[in-house]
Amino acid sequence: MYGGGNVFEATKFDNLQTEDPAKLAEFEARIARGEKIEPTDWMPELYRKQLIRMIEQHAHSEIIGALPEGTWITRAPGFRRKMAQMAKVQDEVGHAQLLYSAAETLGKSREQMLTDLINGKSKYSNVFNYPAFTWADSNIISWLIDAGAIVNQMANAKGSYGPYSRALERICAEEAFHLKYGHDAVVHMATGTPKQREMIQAALNRWWGPIMTFFGPSDKMSTHTETLMRWKVKMASNDECRQQFLDMYVPKIWELGLTVPDPNLKKNQETGQWEYTEPDWDEFKRVINGDGPCNAERLAVRRTAEERGAWVRRALLNPKAKYVKPLA
Amino acid sequence: MSLKSLDPRVTRLNLPDGEVPAMEPKPELDQFETYEAFHQKKEGAAHTYVGPVHAPNEDVAFLFAKEQYSRRFPCVGLWIARTENIQVTPYAGDGENVYDMLRIEEPAKRSEQAEPYEIFHLKKRGKAHTHAGRVVATSYLEALQEAKNQLGEKGPIVNVWVVKSKDVLQSAEDDKDMWTTVPEKKYREAIAYKVMDKITKFKEEQKNLTAQ
Repeated sequence: MYGGGNVFEATKFDNLQTEDPAKLAEFEARIARGEKIEPTDWMPELYRKQLIRMIEQHAHSEIIGALPEGTWITRAPGFRRKMAQMAKVQDEVGHAQLLYSAAETLGKSREQMLTDLINGKSKYSNVFNYPAFTWADSNIISWLIDAGAIVNQMANAKGSYGPYSRALERICAEEAFHLKYGHDAVVHMATGTPKQREMIQAALNRWWGPIMTFFGPSDKMSTHTETLMRWKVKMASNDECRQQFLDMYVPKIWELGLTVPDPNLKKNQETGQWEYTEPDWDEFKRVINGDGPCNAERLAVRRTAEERGAWVRRALLNPKAKYVKPLA
Repeated sequence: MSLKSLDPRVTRLNLPDGEVPAMEPKPELDQFETYEAFHQKKEGAAHTYVGPVHAPNEDVAFLFAKEQYSRRFPCVGLWIARTENIQVTPYAGDGENVYDMLRIEEPAKRSEQAEPYEIFHLKKRGKAHTHAGRVVATSYLEALQEAKNQLGEKGPIVNVWVVKSKDVLQSAEDDKDMWTTVPEKKYREAIAYKVMDKITKFKEEQKNLTAQ
Protein backbone atom coordinates (compact mmCIF):
# COMPACT_ATOMS: atom_id res chain seq x y z
CA MET A 1 0.00 0.00 0.00
CA TYR A 2 1.31 3.36 -0.85
CA GLY A 3 0.38 6.98 -0.94
CA GLY A 4 1.14 8.95 -4.02
CA GLY A 5 1.32 12.61 -3.46
CA ASN A 6 4.82 12.78 -4.77
CA VAL A 7 5.73 16.38 -5.10
CA PHE A 8 8.38 16.47 -7.75
CA GLU A 9 10.20 19.60 -6.83
CA ALA A 10 12.95 20.81 -9.06
CA THR A 11 16.32 19.90 -7.65
CA LYS A 12 19.70 21.31 -8.35
CA PHE A 13 20.26 18.33 -10.61
CA ASP A 14 17.56 19.61 -12.90
CA ASN A 15 20.13 21.11 -15.18
CA LEU A 16 20.61 18.51 -17.88
CA GLN A 17 23.30 20.59 -19.59
CA THR A 18 25.89 19.03 -17.31
CA GLU A 19 25.06 15.57 -18.67
CA ASP A 20 26.99 13.97 -21.52
CA PRO A 21 24.76 14.65 -24.57
CA ALA A 22 25.62 11.39 -26.38
CA LYS A 23 24.87 9.26 -23.31
CA LEU A 24 21.73 11.22 -22.57
CA ALA A 25 20.50 10.67 -26.14
CA GLU A 26 21.22 6.94 -25.92
CA PHE A 27 19.41 6.75 -22.56
CA GLU A 28 16.37 8.59 -23.87
CA ALA A 29 16.28 6.48 -27.03
CA ARG A 30 16.27 3.30 -24.94
CA ILE A 31 13.28 4.52 -22.93
CA ALA A 32 11.49 5.70 -26.07
CA ARG A 33 11.90 2.18 -27.53
CA GLY A 34 10.12 0.84 -24.44
CA GLU A 35 13.20 -0.81 -22.94
CA LYS A 36 13.79 -0.83 -19.20
CA ILE A 37 16.81 0.75 -17.54
CA GLU A 38 18.87 -1.63 -15.40
CA PRO A 39 21.10 -0.67 -12.42
CA THR A 40 24.49 -0.59 -14.16
CA ASP A 41 23.27 1.49 -17.15
CA TRP A 42 24.34 5.07 -17.44
CA MET A 43 21.56 7.39 -16.22
CA PRO A 44 21.20 11.14 -15.68
CA GLU A 45 21.67 12.32 -12.11
CA LEU A 46 18.11 13.71 -12.08
CA TYR A 47 16.70 10.29 -12.98
CA ARG A 48 18.68 8.60 -10.21
CA LYS A 49 17.78 11.19 -7.55
CA GLN A 50 14.07 11.25 -8.34
CA LEU A 51 13.80 7.48 -8.42
CA ILE A 52 15.63 7.05 -5.12
CA ARG A 53 13.33 9.61 -3.56
CA MET A 54 10.18 8.09 -4.99
CA ILE A 55 11.02 4.44 -4.26
CA GLU A 56 12.33 5.31 -0.80
CA GLN A 57 9.11 7.20 0.05
CA HIS A 58 7.15 4.24 -1.23
CA ALA A 59 9.14 1.86 1.00
CA HIS A 60 8.65 4.09 4.06
CA SER A 61 4.92 4.23 3.32
CA GLU A 62 4.71 0.45 3.38
CA ILE A 63 6.54 0.09 6.67
CA ILE A 64 4.69 2.96 8.38
CA GLY A 65 1.40 1.97 6.72
CA ALA A 66 1.63 -1.37 8.48
CA LEU A 67 1.23 0.40 11.85
CA PRO A 68 -2.41 1.63 11.83
CA GLU A 69 -3.61 -1.79 10.66
CA GLY A 70 -1.11 -3.72 12.75
CA THR A 71 -2.57 -2.14 15.85
CA TRP A 72 -5.88 -3.94 15.14
CA ILE A 73 -4.45 -7.47 14.85
CA THR A 74 -4.86 -8.20 18.55
CA ARG A 75 -8.39 -6.82 18.56
CA ALA A 76 -9.64 -8.19 15.24
CA PRO A 77 -13.13 -9.69 15.57
CA GLY A 78 -12.63 -13.42 15.14
CA PHE A 79 -9.80 -15.80 14.34
CA ARG A 80 -10.14 -15.75 10.57
CA ARG A 81 -10.00 -11.95 10.43
CA LYS A 82 -7.03 -11.97 12.77
CA MET A 83 -5.18 -14.35 10.43
CA ALA A 84 -6.07 -12.31 7.36
CA GLN A 85 -5.15 -8.99 8.99
CA MET A 86 -1.84 -10.47 10.08
CA ALA A 87 -1.13 -11.78 6.57
CA LYS A 88 -1.89 -8.37 5.10
CA VAL A 89 0.37 -6.52 7.54
CA GLN A 90 3.13 -9.04 6.86
CA ASP A 91 2.71 -8.36 3.13
CA GLU A 92 3.11 -4.62 3.67
CA VAL A 93 6.34 -5.05 5.60
CA GLY A 94 7.56 -7.43 2.89
CA HIS A 95 6.77 -4.76 0.29
CA ALA A 96 8.94 -2.31 2.19
CA GLN A 97 11.84 -4.77 1.96
CA LEU A 98 11.38 -5.20 -1.79
CA LEU A 99 11.27 -1.46 -2.31
CA TYR A 100 14.24 -0.65 -0.10
CA SER A 101 16.23 -3.11 -2.20
CA ALA A 102 15.08 -1.50 -5.45
CA ALA A 103 16.18 1.91 -4.14
CA GLU A 104 19.49 0.44 -2.99
CA THR A 105 20.37 -0.60 -6.54
CA LEU A 106 20.50 3.14 -7.26
CA GLY A 107 23.14 3.72 -4.62
CA LYS A 108 21.46 4.70 -1.33
CA SER A 109 22.03 2.24 1.50
CA ARG A 110 19.19 0.83 3.58
CA GLU A 111 20.92 2.16 6.71
CA GLN A 112 20.79 5.69 5.29
CA MET A 113 17.14 5.37 4.23
CA LEU A 114 16.05 4.15 7.68
CA THR A 115 18.04 6.92 9.37
CA ASP A 116 16.39 9.51 7.12
CA LEU A 117 12.93 8.09 7.85
CA ILE A 118 13.39 8.19 11.61
CA ASN A 119 14.93 11.65 11.62
CA GLY A 120 12.09 13.01 9.50
CA LYS A 121 14.32 13.77 6.54
CA SER A 122 12.38 11.60 4.13
CA LYS A 123 8.61 11.36 3.95
CA TYR A 124 6.02 8.64 3.77
CA SER A 125 2.41 8.75 2.69
CA ASN A 126 0.66 11.41 4.69
CA VAL A 127 -2.51 9.35 5.31
CA PHE A 128 -0.67 7.23 7.86
CA ASN A 129 -0.34 10.23 10.13
CA TYR A 130 -4.03 9.75 10.94
CA PRO A 131 -5.23 7.28 13.58
CA ALA A 132 -7.38 4.16 13.14
CA PHE A 133 -9.94 4.78 15.91
CA THR A 134 -12.00 1.64 15.38
CA TRP A 135 -11.95 -1.69 13.56
CA ALA A 136 -14.00 0.06 10.88
CA ASP A 137 -11.17 2.56 10.28
CA SER A 138 -8.86 -0.35 9.71
CA ASN A 139 -11.37 -1.74 7.17
CA ILE A 140 -11.54 1.56 5.31
CA ILE A 141 -7.74 1.64 5.14
CA SER A 142 -7.61 -1.95 3.88
CA TRP A 143 -10.11 -1.20 1.16
CA LEU A 144 -9.80 2.39 0.01
CA ILE A 145 -6.22 3.30 0.86
CA ASP A 146 -5.08 0.07 -0.76
CA ALA A 147 -7.32 0.80 -3.73
CA GLY A 148 -5.65 4.17 -4.15
CA ALA A 149 -2.26 2.55 -3.78
CA ILE A 150 -3.09 0.04 -6.49
CA VAL A 151 -4.08 2.79 -8.92
CA ASN A 152 -0.68 4.34 -8.27
CA GLN A 153 1.32 1.16 -8.37
CA MET A 154 -0.27 -0.20 -11.54
CA ALA A 155 0.79 3.02 -13.26
CA ASN A 156 4.30 2.98 -11.80
CA ALA A 157 4.84 -0.69 -12.68
CA LYS A 158 4.96 0.42 -16.31
CA GLY A 159 7.77 2.85 -15.50
CA SER A 160 11.24 2.61 -16.98
CA TYR A 161 13.34 1.39 -14.06
CA GLY A 162 13.73 -2.41 -14.12
CA PRO A 163 14.17 -3.16 -10.39
CA TYR A 164 11.21 -0.93 -9.41
CA SER A 165 8.98 -2.55 -12.04
CA ARG A 166 9.94 -6.03 -10.89
CA ALA A 167 9.19 -5.15 -7.26
CA LEU A 168 5.86 -3.56 -8.20
CA GLU A 169 4.72 -6.56 -10.21
CA ARG A 170 5.12 -8.76 -7.15
CA ILE A 171 3.52 -6.12 -4.93
CA CYS A 172 0.48 -5.71 -7.21
CA ALA A 173 -0.05 -9.48 -7.28
CA GLU A 174 -0.08 -9.56 -3.48
CA GLU A 175 -2.30 -6.49 -3.18
CA ALA A 176 -5.13 -8.20 -5.06
CA PHE A 177 -5.90 -10.01 -1.82
CA HIS A 178 -5.76 -6.80 0.23
CA LEU A 179 -8.32 -5.09 -1.93
CA LYS A 180 -10.78 -7.99 -1.80
CA TYR A 181 -10.19 -8.51 1.90
CA GLY A 182 -10.80 -4.81 2.61
CA HIS A 183 -13.88 -4.68 0.41
CA ASP A 184 -15.29 -7.79 2.06
CA ALA A 185 -14.71 -6.31 5.52
CA VAL A 186 -16.45 -3.05 4.59
CA VAL A 187 -19.36 -4.89 2.95
CA HIS A 188 -19.74 -7.02 6.06
CA MET A 189 -20.11 -3.90 8.21
CA ALA A 190 -22.26 -1.99 5.73
CA THR A 191 -24.72 -4.86 5.33
CA GLY A 192 -24.76 -5.66 9.04
CA THR A 193 -26.57 -4.23 12.05
CA PRO A 194 -27.45 -0.50 12.31
CA LYS A 195 -24.58 -0.13 14.78
CA GLN A 196 -22.13 -1.67 12.29
CA ARG A 197 -23.39 0.56 9.49
CA GLU A 198 -22.98 3.58 11.71
CA MET A 199 -19.41 2.57 12.54
CA ILE A 200 -18.36 2.11 8.93
CA GLN A 201 -20.00 5.37 7.84
CA ALA A 202 -18.21 7.23 10.64
CA ALA A 203 -14.89 5.72 9.59
CA LEU A 204 -15.51 6.66 5.96
CA ASN A 205 -16.30 10.22 7.04
CA ARG A 206 -13.05 10.41 8.98
CA TRP A 207 -10.95 9.01 6.12
CA TRP A 208 -12.48 10.79 3.14
CA GLY A 209 -10.35 13.91 3.59
CA PRO A 210 -7.05 12.02 3.82
CA ILE A 211 -8.09 9.79 0.90
CA MET A 212 -8.73 12.79 -1.35
CA THR A 213 -5.25 14.14 -0.59
CA PHE A 214 -3.72 10.71 -1.10
CA PHE A 215 -2.68 11.32 -4.71
CA GLY A 216 -1.16 14.69 -3.91
CA PRO A 217 -1.99 18.19 -5.17
CA SER A 218 -2.50 18.89 -8.88
CA ASP A 219 0.83 18.74 -10.65
CA LYS A 220 2.29 21.97 -11.84
CA MET A 221 3.11 21.26 -15.44
CA SER A 222 6.71 22.32 -15.75
CA THR A 223 9.57 21.23 -17.99
CA HIS A 224 10.71 19.26 -14.97
CA THR A 225 7.48 17.23 -14.86
CA GLU A 226 7.61 16.77 -18.61
CA THR A 227 11.15 15.41 -18.39
CA LEU A 228 10.15 12.92 -15.70
CA MET A 229 7.17 11.80 -17.73
CA ARG A 230 9.31 11.38 -20.84
CA TRP A 231 11.72 9.26 -18.80
CA LYS A 232 8.80 7.19 -17.49
CA VAL A 233 9.55 8.03 -13.87
CA LYS A 234 6.18 9.68 -13.38
CA MET A 235 3.54 7.68 -15.24
CA ALA A 236 0.35 9.60 -14.59
CA SER A 237 -0.52 12.96 -13.11
CA ASN A 238 -1.86 13.14 -9.56
CA ASP A 239 -5.22 14.33 -10.89
CA GLU A 240 -5.44 11.46 -13.37
CA CYS A 241 -4.87 8.98 -10.54
CA ARG A 242 -7.48 10.71 -8.35
CA GLN A 243 -10.05 10.66 -11.17
CA GLN A 244 -9.40 6.99 -11.86
CA PHE A 245 -9.82 6.18 -8.17
CA LEU A 246 -13.13 8.07 -7.95
CA ASP A 247 -14.36 6.39 -11.11
CA MET A 248 -13.65 2.94 -9.77
CA TYR A 249 -14.66 3.28 -6.12
CA VAL A 250 -17.34 5.93 -5.59
CA PRO A 251 -19.98 3.71 -7.28
CA LYS A 252 -18.89 0.82 -5.05
CA ILE A 253 -19.32 3.02 -1.96
CA TRP A 254 -22.73 4.24 -3.09
CA GLU A 255 -24.08 0.79 -3.90
CA LEU A 256 -23.67 -0.10 -0.22
CA GLY A 257 -25.94 2.79 0.70
CA LEU A 258 -23.03 4.67 2.27
CA THR A 259 -22.56 8.37 1.70
CA VAL A 260 -19.46 10.33 0.87
CA PRO A 261 -19.06 13.42 3.07
CA ASP A 262 -18.72 15.84 0.18
CA PRO A 263 -21.96 17.44 -1.07
CA ASN A 264 -20.18 18.60 -4.24
CA LEU A 265 -19.02 15.16 -5.32
CA LYS A 266 -20.55 14.21 -8.65
CA LYS A 267 -19.52 13.02 -12.05
CA ASN A 268 -19.93 15.62 -14.74
CA GLN A 269 -21.61 13.62 -17.51
CA GLU A 270 -20.39 15.99 -20.20
CA THR A 271 -16.71 16.03 -19.33
CA GLY A 272 -16.67 12.55 -17.77
CA GLN A 273 -14.67 14.08 -14.92
CA TRP A 274 -15.50 13.95 -11.22
CA GLU A 275 -16.14 17.25 -9.50
CA TYR A 276 -15.43 17.58 -5.81
CA THR A 277 -14.66 20.02 -3.05
CA GLU A 278 -10.97 20.85 -3.22
CA PRO A 279 -9.23 18.95 -0.40
CA ASP A 280 -7.72 20.96 2.44
CA TRP A 281 -4.18 21.35 1.13
CA ASP A 282 -3.17 23.59 4.04
CA GLU A 283 -3.92 20.76 6.43
CA PHE A 284 -2.09 18.37 4.09
CA LYS A 285 1.02 20.56 4.20
CA ARG A 286 0.81 21.04 7.94
CA VAL A 287 0.48 17.30 8.59
CA ILE A 288 3.14 16.20 6.13
CA ASN A 289 5.53 18.62 7.80
CA GLY A 290 5.07 16.95 11.16
CA ASP A 291 2.00 18.47 12.77
CA GLY A 292 -0.47 15.61 12.37
CA PRO A 293 -2.26 13.51 14.98
CA CYS A 294 0.12 10.53 14.70
CA ASN A 295 3.41 11.72 13.15
CA ALA A 296 5.31 11.58 16.44
CA GLU A 297 3.86 8.22 17.40
CA ARG A 298 4.62 6.58 14.04
CA LEU A 299 8.26 7.63 14.09
CA ALA A 300 8.69 6.88 17.79
CA VAL A 301 7.37 3.34 17.31
CA ARG A 302 9.64 2.77 14.31
CA ARG A 303 12.62 4.21 16.16
CA THR A 304 12.01 2.06 19.22
CA ALA A 305 11.90 -1.06 17.09
CA GLU A 306 15.18 -0.09 15.42
CA GLU A 307 16.90 0.77 18.70
CA ARG A 308 15.70 -2.25 20.62
CA GLY A 309 16.78 -4.60 17.85
CA ALA A 310 20.22 -3.02 17.41
CA TRP A 311 22.05 -5.31 19.84
CA VAL A 312 20.67 -8.39 18.11
CA ARG A 313 21.89 -7.16 14.75
CA ARG A 314 25.30 -6.31 16.21
CA ALA A 315 25.58 -9.76 17.77
CA LEU A 316 24.73 -11.46 14.48
CA LEU A 317 27.02 -9.38 12.29
CA ASN A 318 29.80 -11.37 10.69
CA PRO A 319 33.03 -9.35 11.21
CA LYS A 320 34.14 -10.23 7.69
CA ALA A 321 30.90 -9.00 6.13
CA LYS A 322 31.28 -6.63 3.22
CA TYR A 323 28.45 -4.60 1.75
CA VAL A 324 27.66 -5.09 -1.93
CA LYS A 325 24.51 -3.46 -3.26
CA PRO A 326 21.86 -5.83 -4.58
CA LEU A 327 22.10 -6.78 -8.25
CA ALA A 328 18.64 -6.10 -9.54
CA MET B 1 5.46 13.02 29.90
CA SER B 2 5.21 9.90 27.81
CA LEU B 3 3.46 9.39 24.53
CA LYS B 4 -0.23 8.45 24.73
CA SER B 5 -1.60 6.28 21.96
CA LEU B 6 -4.97 4.77 21.04
CA ASP B 7 -3.09 1.49 21.15
CA PRO B 8 -2.46 0.58 24.81
CA ARG B 9 0.60 -1.44 23.79
CA VAL B 10 2.20 1.69 22.35
CA THR B 11 1.32 3.71 25.45
CA ARG B 12 2.97 1.04 27.61
CA LEU B 13 6.27 1.56 25.76
CA ASN B 14 6.62 4.83 27.71
CA LEU B 15 8.07 6.63 24.73
CA PRO B 16 9.09 10.26 25.24
CA ASP B 17 6.55 12.82 24.06
CA GLY B 18 7.60 16.00 22.28
CA GLU B 19 10.92 16.89 20.70
CA VAL B 20 13.50 14.13 20.73
CA PRO B 21 17.15 14.39 19.68
CA ALA B 22 17.90 13.01 16.21
CA MET B 23 18.90 9.36 16.02
CA GLU B 24 22.58 8.69 15.39
CA PRO B 25 23.03 7.58 11.78
CA LYS B 26 22.86 3.80 11.55
CA PRO B 27 26.32 2.27 11.36
CA GLU B 28 27.49 0.58 8.18
CA LEU B 29 26.26 -3.03 7.86
CA ASP B 30 23.56 -2.47 10.51
CA GLN B 31 21.31 -4.06 7.86
CA PHE B 32 23.86 -6.77 6.99
CA GLU B 33 25.04 -8.00 3.60
CA THR B 34 22.81 -8.84 0.68
CA TYR B 35 21.99 -12.20 -0.85
CA GLU B 36 20.13 -12.93 -4.07
CA ALA B 37 17.24 -15.42 -4.13
CA PHE B 38 15.97 -17.67 -6.92
CA HIS B 39 12.77 -19.67 -6.68
CA GLN B 40 11.46 -22.72 -8.51
CA LYS B 41 7.77 -22.38 -9.20
CA LYS B 42 7.06 -26.01 -10.01
CA GLU B 43 8.78 -29.36 -10.44
CA GLY B 44 11.14 -29.30 -13.42
CA ALA B 45 10.96 -25.52 -13.97
CA ALA B 46 14.18 -23.48 -14.07
CA HIS B 47 15.04 -21.44 -10.99
CA THR B 48 14.16 -17.78 -11.51
CA TYR B 49 15.45 -14.67 -9.80
CA VAL B 50 13.00 -13.19 -7.29
CA GLY B 51 15.06 -10.53 -5.53
CA PRO B 52 17.53 -9.73 -2.77
CA VAL B 53 17.41 -10.12 1.00
CA HIS B 54 19.58 -8.64 3.75
CA ALA B 55 20.92 -11.21 6.20
CA PRO B 56 23.85 -11.93 8.53
CA ASN B 57 24.57 -15.32 6.95
CA GLU B 58 23.45 -17.78 4.33
CA ASP B 59 21.09 -19.75 6.57
CA VAL B 60 19.25 -16.68 7.78
CA ALA B 61 19.17 -15.40 4.19
CA PHE B 62 17.43 -18.63 3.25
CA LEU B 63 14.80 -18.18 5.97
CA PHE B 64 14.20 -14.54 5.06
CA ALA B 65 13.94 -15.38 1.35
CA LYS B 66 11.51 -18.18 2.11
CA GLU B 67 9.27 -15.72 3.98
CA GLN B 68 9.74 -12.88 1.54
CA TYR B 69 9.44 -14.68 -1.76
CA SER B 70 7.69 -18.00 -1.24
CA ARG B 71 5.03 -17.50 1.40
CA ARG B 72 2.26 -16.43 -0.97
CA PHE B 73 2.74 -18.32 -4.24
CA PRO B 74 3.53 -21.91 -5.26
CA CYS B 75 7.18 -22.84 -4.75
CA VAL B 76 9.06 -26.13 -4.68
CA GLY B 77 12.66 -24.97 -4.43
CA LEU B 78 14.80 -22.00 -3.38
CA TRP B 79 18.44 -21.06 -4.09
CA ILE B 80 20.44 -18.41 -2.26
CA ALA B 81 23.74 -16.81 -3.29
CA ARG B 82 25.73 -14.00 -1.70
CA THR B 83 25.56 -10.99 -3.99
CA GLU B 84 29.32 -10.61 -3.73
CA ASN B 85 29.84 -14.08 -5.24
CA ILE B 86 27.86 -13.38 -8.40
CA GLN B 87 29.72 -11.97 -11.40
CA VAL B 88 27.70 -9.88 -13.80
CA THR B 89 28.24 -8.99 -17.47
CA PRO B 90 27.29 -5.60 -18.87
CA TYR B 91 23.68 -5.26 -20.09
CA ALA B 92 22.95 -5.47 -23.82
CA GLY B 93 19.88 -3.88 -25.42
CA ASP B 94 16.63 -5.80 -25.86
CA GLY B 95 16.82 -8.21 -28.79
CA GLU B 96 20.63 -8.42 -28.65
CA ASN B 97 22.84 -11.24 -27.45
CA VAL B 98 25.34 -10.01 -24.89
CA TYR B 99 27.68 -12.96 -25.60
CA ASP B 100 28.29 -11.53 -29.10
CA MET B 101 29.43 -8.25 -27.61
CA LEU B 102 31.78 -9.60 -24.96
CA ARG B 103 35.47 -10.04 -25.57
CA ILE B 104 36.22 -12.76 -23.10
CA GLU B 105 39.91 -12.54 -22.26
CA GLU B 106 42.20 -15.13 -20.81
CA PRO B 107 41.59 -15.24 -17.06
CA ALA B 108 44.38 -13.87 -14.89
CA LYS B 109 43.69 -16.41 -12.19
CA ARG B 110 42.36 -19.91 -12.47
CA SER B 111 41.98 -22.68 -9.95
CA GLU B 112 43.90 -25.94 -10.18
CA GLN B 113 40.79 -27.95 -10.57
CA ALA B 114 37.77 -27.35 -12.71
CA GLU B 115 34.55 -26.85 -10.75
CA PRO B 116 30.89 -26.31 -11.64
CA TYR B 117 29.37 -22.83 -12.15
CA GLU B 118 25.69 -21.88 -12.43
CA ILE B 119 24.71 -19.62 -15.32
CA PHE B 120 21.68 -17.28 -15.29
CA HIS B 121 20.34 -15.46 -18.36
CA LEU B 122 18.16 -12.37 -18.61
CA LYS B 123 16.14 -12.52 -21.84
CA LYS B 124 14.62 -9.08 -21.69
CA ARG B 125 15.28 -5.98 -19.62
CA GLY B 126 12.84 -5.64 -16.71
CA LYS B 127 12.21 -9.39 -16.60
CA ALA B 128 13.93 -11.83 -14.20
CA HIS B 129 17.17 -13.80 -14.64
CA THR B 130 16.53 -17.50 -15.20
CA HIS B 131 18.84 -20.45 -14.63
CA ALA B 132 20.19 -21.49 -18.04
CA GLY B 133 22.44 -24.34 -16.97
CA ARG B 134 25.66 -25.46 -15.37
CA VAL B 135 29.17 -25.43 -16.84
CA VAL B 136 32.50 -26.73 -15.56
CA ALA B 137 35.45 -24.32 -15.58
CA THR B 138 38.58 -23.19 -13.73
CA SER B 139 37.58 -19.51 -13.47
CA TYR B 140 34.59 -17.15 -13.82
CA LEU B 141 35.83 -16.05 -17.24
CA GLU B 142 36.26 -19.57 -18.48
CA ALA B 143 32.80 -20.34 -17.15
CA LEU B 144 31.47 -17.41 -19.16
CA GLN B 145 33.26 -18.69 -22.28
CA GLU B 146 31.85 -22.16 -21.70
CA ALA B 147 28.39 -20.68 -21.17
CA LYS B 148 28.70 -18.85 -24.46
CA ASN B 149 29.66 -22.08 -26.25
CA GLN B 150 27.12 -24.33 -24.60
CA LEU B 151 24.18 -22.10 -23.72
CA GLY B 152 24.68 -18.86 -25.62
CA GLU B 153 23.24 -19.76 -29.00
CA LYS B 154 19.61 -19.05 -28.35
CA GLY B 155 19.33 -15.29 -28.06
CA PRO B 156 18.29 -12.73 -27.16
CA ILE B 157 20.26 -12.71 -23.91
CA VAL B 158 20.74 -9.24 -22.47
CA ASN B 159 22.66 -10.10 -19.30
CA VAL B 160 24.48 -13.05 -17.71
CA TRP B 161 25.15 -13.89 -14.06
CA VAL B 162 27.86 -16.43 -13.19
CA VAL B 163 28.23 -18.00 -9.74
CA LYS B 164 30.18 -20.97 -8.45
CA SER B 165 27.84 -23.87 -7.65
CA LYS B 166 29.48 -24.28 -4.25
CA ASP B 167 28.42 -20.71 -3.42
CA VAL B 168 24.75 -21.46 -4.01
CA LEU B 169 22.74 -22.72 -1.05
CA GLN B 170 20.04 -24.96 -2.47
CA SER B 171 16.95 -26.20 -0.68
CA ALA B 172 17.05 -29.95 -0.23
CA GLU B 173 14.68 -32.47 -1.76
CA ASP B 174 13.63 -33.46 1.78
CA ASP B 175 12.70 -29.89 2.67
CA LYS B 176 9.92 -29.55 0.12
CA ASP B 177 7.25 -30.01 2.75
CA MET B 178 8.03 -26.52 4.03
CA TRP B 179 5.83 -25.21 1.20
CA THR B 180 2.96 -27.65 1.53
CA THR B 181 0.86 -25.38 3.75
CA VAL B 182 0.79 -22.54 1.18
CA PRO B 183 -2.44 -23.69 -0.55
CA GLU B 184 -4.18 -24.14 2.82
CA LYS B 185 -4.06 -20.45 3.66
CA LYS B 186 -6.97 -19.43 1.49
CA TYR B 187 -7.63 -16.28 3.49
CA ARG B 188 -4.59 -14.77 1.77
CA GLU B 189 -6.12 -15.09 -1.68
CA ALA B 190 -8.47 -12.67 -3.38
CA ILE B 191 -10.60 -15.58 -4.57
CA ALA B 192 -11.53 -16.50 -0.97
CA TYR B 193 -13.69 -13.36 -0.68
CA LYS B 194 -17.08 -13.80 -2.28
CA VAL B 195 -18.07 -10.23 -1.81
CA MET B 196 -20.45 -9.96 -4.78
CA ASP B 197 -22.82 -12.51 -3.22
CA LYS B 198 -23.17 -10.34 -0.12
CA ILE B 199 -23.71 -7.17 -2.16
CA THR B 200 -26.38 -8.76 -4.35
CA LYS B 201 -28.20 -10.10 -1.29
CA PHE B 202 -28.02 -6.67 0.36
CA LYS B 203 -29.39 -4.90 -2.71
CA GLU B 204 -32.29 -7.33 -2.96
CA GLU B 205 -33.18 -6.85 0.68
CA GLN B 206 -33.13 -3.08 0.15
CA LYS B 207 -35.41 -3.44 -2.89
CA ASN B 208 -37.86 -5.59 -0.90
CA LEU B 209 -37.83 -3.07 1.93
CA THR B 210 -38.79 -0.20 -0.37
CA ALA B 211 -41.39 -2.34 -2.12
CA GLN B 212 -43.19 -3.10 1.15
